[in-house]
Amino acid sequence: MSRPLARSKQMKDKNHYLPEMATINEVIQETHNIMTFRVTFNDPQVMENFTFQPGQVGQLSSFGTGEATFVINSPPTRKDYLQFSVMRTGEVTSKLHSLSEGDQIGVRAPLGNFFPYEDMKGKDIVFIGGGIGMAPLRPLMLYMLDNRKDYGKITLLYGARSPVDMAFNYELQSWLEREDLETHLTIDAKYEGWQHTVGLIPNVLLDIAPSSENCVAVTCGPPIMIKFTLQALEKLGFKDEQIVTTLEKRMKCGVGICGRCNIGSSYVCMDGPVFTAAQLKELPNEL
Amino acid sequence: MSWLEELARENKVFAPRYEGDAVIFAPFDPKQEISIKHAATMPPKKTVFPQSEKLVDFTYSKDPENLSRILIEAKEILPKGTTVVFGSRPCDVRGFTMFDRVYLAEKTTDVYYKARRENTSFITLACEKPETTCFCHWVDSSPSDASGSDVLATPIEDGYVLEPFSEKGQKLLTSSLLENGERWILEVKDVHENAAGFLANAPDLSQAPQKLLDVFDNMEFWENAAAKCLSCGACTYLCPSCYCFNITDETTGMKGTRFRSWDNCMSAQFTMEASGHNPRPTKAHRLKNRVGHKFSYYPAIHDGVISCCGCGRCIKSCPVGIDIREIVQEAINHEPAIGKE
Amino acid sequence: MGNPRSESNKGDQVKFQEELKDNIRKALPELDVVIGWCGSFDPLHATPHFMRREEDIDKLEISPLSVHNLATYLPGLRGKKVGIVVKGCDSRSVVELLQENLINREDITIFGFPCTGVVDQSKIKKALGGHTGNIEFCDMSESVIVIKSEDKAYTLPMAEMLADKCSSCRYPDAVISDYFAGEKIGNKGEEDADYAAVETFENLSVPERFGYWLKEFDRCIRCYACRNACPLCVCRDHCAAESRDPHWLSQENNVRDKLMFQVIHAYHLAGRCTECGECQRACPVDIPVLMFKQKMNKEIRDTFQYEAGVDPEATPPLLSFKMKEENITEKVW
Repeated sequence: MSRPLARSKQMKDKNHYLPEMATINEVIQETHNIMTFRVTFNDPQVMENFTFQPGQVGQLSSFGTGEATFVINSPPTRKDYLQFSVMRTGEVTSKLHSLSEGDQIGVRAPLGNFFPYEDMKGKDIVFIGGGIGMAPLRPLMLYMLDNRKDYGKITLLYGARSPVDMAFNYELQSWLEREDLETHLTIDAKYEGWQHTVGLIPNVLLDIAPSSENCVAVTCGPPIMIKFTLQALEKLGFKDEQIVTTLEKRMKCGVGICGRCNIGSSYVCMDGPVFTAAQLKELPNEL
Repeated sequence: MSWLEELARENKVFAPRYEGDAVIFAPFDPKQEISIKHAATMPPKKTVFPQSEKLVDFTYSKDPENLSRILIEAKEILPKGTTVVFGSRPCDVRGFTMFDRVYLAEKTTDVYYKARRENTSFITLACEKPETTCFCHWVDSSPSDASGSDVLATPIEDGYVLEPFSEKGQKLLTSSLLENGERWILEVKDVHENAAGFLANAPDLSQAPQKLLDVFDNMEFWENAAAKCLSCGACTYLCPSCYCFNITDETTGMKGTRFRSWDNCMSAQFTMEASGHNPRPTKAHRLKNRVGHKFSYYPAIHDGVISCCGCGRCIKSCPVGIDIREIVQEAINHEPAIGKE
Repeated sequence: MGNPRSESNKGDQVKFQEELKDNIRKALPELDVVIGWCGSFDPLHATPHFMRREEDIDKLEISPLSVHNLATYLPGLRGKKVGIVVKGCDSRSVVELLQENLINREDITIFGFPCTGVVDQSKIKKALGGHTGNIEFCDMSESVIVIKSEDKAYTLPMAEMLADKCSSCRYPDAVISDYFAGEKIGNKGEEDADYAAVETFENLSVPERFGYWLKEFDRCIRCYACRNACPLCVCRDHCAAESRDPHWLSQENNVRDKLMFQVIHAYHLAGRCTECGECQRACPVDIPVLMFKQKMNKEIRDTFQYEAGVDPEATPPLLSFKMKEENITEKVW
């Protein structure tokens, strides 16, 4: 399982720490603390050749402030821009939130592993997202919808504290209207004008009661939501191999060198951030 | 040593000498005495992995075509020049072989480290006698281990016998100031065997990776081990095989630099997330990670190689005398209490 | 300044160790842990010893190697019932922690003993030619240290190997304790603290002084052992030296940032530092950082006639306010 050493000395090695410069084309204020950025690389050649898999992440650079990790939440089939959704939490995210169209940022991508969408072919898929946790699910969901016949029934359960905390508001209606996608939206507590379900995500999941037969659940959200969602999935009969999630950790290099994001011998930036519940159970308990 | 002066004409030469009461690797100065009788206080880590290192320079400028737009130019700053380090010990340099597996991995090569590593040569001194805190033989090494070094210098009565262990090493030995050392081969062997003879039998550490995972959830074990720990960084920064770093940006006006600096997993901030959640909130968690990484996680992904050189600096320099040998052996000998889950 | 310890003898030392162990045995059932010292990785080192069960008490050993100031563990153990064995200087750190409410008096049980001083490892190292890696044997008595290292025997006068703070110690007995084993030596708090070394250094020119620190800090590795060994450092995990908010220091390897941290730390300790010297002892590359705090303490003594760590009811001058200060002349309106 050891990583092979660099063999050729003639080839110029890629400098993994040098970000690729990109321009922000569009900024969308999703909620009071979530902003979405649609960026394109300044070098058209780089933009042309850039490929990634759903679930992979990138380090966004705000020069002078630092870097932070975000999932590329546009689907790989969309070649005109890369989309990142940023929740304002600390130094770097605050700085990013001050940027607008035309501003420059650095991008180091793609990093990490990706959703095992090949293994998920022919199965039913249940997406369970909470708040900003919808961001990593979005590229996979849209990718699957673009390759609809490869997958069985696709269900989305997306919840947030309230309607104003929901990301991708402008898309939710179209998702509700799609015939090839069963969408459930929920909020934690009653809100005036809300016409959909009210209830905590794990409880709503139990109400929907998707069958675990030949099904894979993909979930992401705040830790407390994940904890209870996993319990609910267990109740519904989902085995650990049938549950996929994506983790967050403080990251710096993003390429498994700086020694920071490990859980036991797994580096979240290299062996993750996508993990199945079965893989997580093998790792030491240090989330 | 005139040979070192000769080398200094084309290379930066580092040799250990006293700075205050500590022996550190410093730029060779023929007017100052070098101190090689015993292992230095700090290993020569800085020569290949500097305490802080510039990665990228960036400059802001106004876009002449659109004055409300700010352009950023980012440029990498790669290290230049060749270095020769004289007077390191086998354990010091063996640490770089642990770096190599991570920093020179095929898909994720660190170009900064690679540039320095390829352009730095080590003339390592074989040890004549280990110290009581030496345990290189516990971790598959020895007082005459040349892995990672380019030349091994063994002290004999009249001087040193130099053996090359790499192409770079061979080139170093082509100086006219050196004479052929073939006739002292047997003496060299004696010195090496003699030194190894001082070391007591090494315990079997093959169980360590699994045993450390077995006690992972036993917080009482780790709280006891870490009770006297101060959660500083002395052990990490003095360790030849600790390689964690931090990346930070500094700006002045329209210019700035992104650079990396030594970081240590014993610090409370190491894994602190912006949300306020910290997966390793106490010093017990962090000590568990450091020992776990060296003796369990690293071996798990690198063919069983333990990420420790047995130099003993963490024991000698720890302000409270924490002994990593004790912790690892306790983990190996730990029997889970009957009746516990 | 006569050495007050020349009166005791080795026999008394052994006696108080047994009495100390008895005291701890008596108190341990009510306590979560008692912290003392015991032997370590070689005959020339001791290490903090955490006693939780009765059998742990047997390993307790007080000697001139008991250099560590155990008070540094107390704030982290808040909420637990902790016993602590203290030298005179250590007890002053405990007093300071009590003054500032960083620990609760009712949760601490203090065990004092007559301290005859601890050794300075770097002095011993110098006396042994710069190497203490192969110590085979070490015996310390009142007046002499006998060491066997690499088949050579050394007999060193204790007075020359003592830590600087011990040669001019005015508080050999714990200033506060619940149990005291052995005969008190007698504290001399009324005598003036000695800042001769600081004054000598101050008389050098500015380029000489700054040049000195530039040289010393070149080898600083920013491990923060000095900071974490300090019992009175409250910032610790949230230190300005590692913070981005506020962003006062960079992580670059330069003397300016390193000195800035030392200055911040010295200012944070002004009037609170008891000069236990742990900061300097903990430094893995032997940088003499204690001088910064000694300088601050000298100024505090001159301006406020105050000495830290003596009176649990007192308040450090920089944490208090007086309408009219005796030694601070305000501008005339």
